[in-house]
Amino acid sequence: MESTLEQHLDDTMKNPAVVGVLCTDQQGHNLGCRGSLSDEHGGVVSVLAKQAAALSKDPTDSPTVCLESESGNILVRSHGTITVAVHKIAS
Amino acid sequence: MGCCYSSENETQEQRNERKPLIPHPDPVSKPPNGTDWITTSVPSAKTDEQALLTSILTKTAQNIIDVSAADSVMMEQHEYMDKARQYSTKLAVLSNSLPQRKALALPSLTSQPHQVLASDLVPYSDVQQISKIAAYAYSAISQIKVDAKEELVVQFAIP
Repeated sequence: MESTLEQHLDDTMKNPAVVGVLCTDQQGHNLGCRGSLSDEHGGVVSVLAKQAAALSKDPTDSPTVCLESESGNILVRSHGTITVAVHKIAS
Repeated sequence: MGCCYSSENETQEQRNERKPLIPHPDPVSKPPNGTDWITTSVPSAKTDEQALLTSILTKTAQNIIDVSAADSVMMEQHEYMDKARQYSTKLAVLSNSLPQRKALALPSLTSQPHQVLASDLVPYSDVQQISKIAAYAYSAISQIKVDAKEELVVQFAIP
């Protein structure tokens, strides 16, 4: 079942500087999350990726959205039907 | 008689006490909706008994509140204003105690944009990393499938 995804999220959190990870579907439904990113961020994350993709004329192009701050970045990227967000603090 | 409302020793005075302020126009000839007053089963030989039954019937009809026929309750203007004020006060109190949904947006970004804008670009390794994580997550999700452990449709053992 979803144990592979859960394991993947746990492994991602083991990366240095990663403090949060979230995986959503296209509707913003949370598929799994860890750390600073939680259930209620699913909608925002999926919409950010969708809007960013709408900026590109190439439908196969999948942009990476990066929200920058002095304390760290949140990177959002879609792959197929899912969107992943990773919160990294400045190292 | 087996009637719930039979009160043969009730005086006329007591009857008047319970008389509604606005009497029913004609309760016997015009029964409330869906109510069929059966009077044929009453023995017609005794006139007194008949009269008593009729009075019981009349009283019963007066005591019944026909909701479907009742007019909607009109609210006084000041009463309406009072209620509106009361509800808005209550809502204001409740909305203050509610958690701020706006605060649940993505983790705090910056209060000093110039610092962020002046900083280095996002490392390409980070972009590669998120791409890899997303691709792996997608492959992990595509592995999710229904793990049927038992039959959904069970045949009953028919000998």
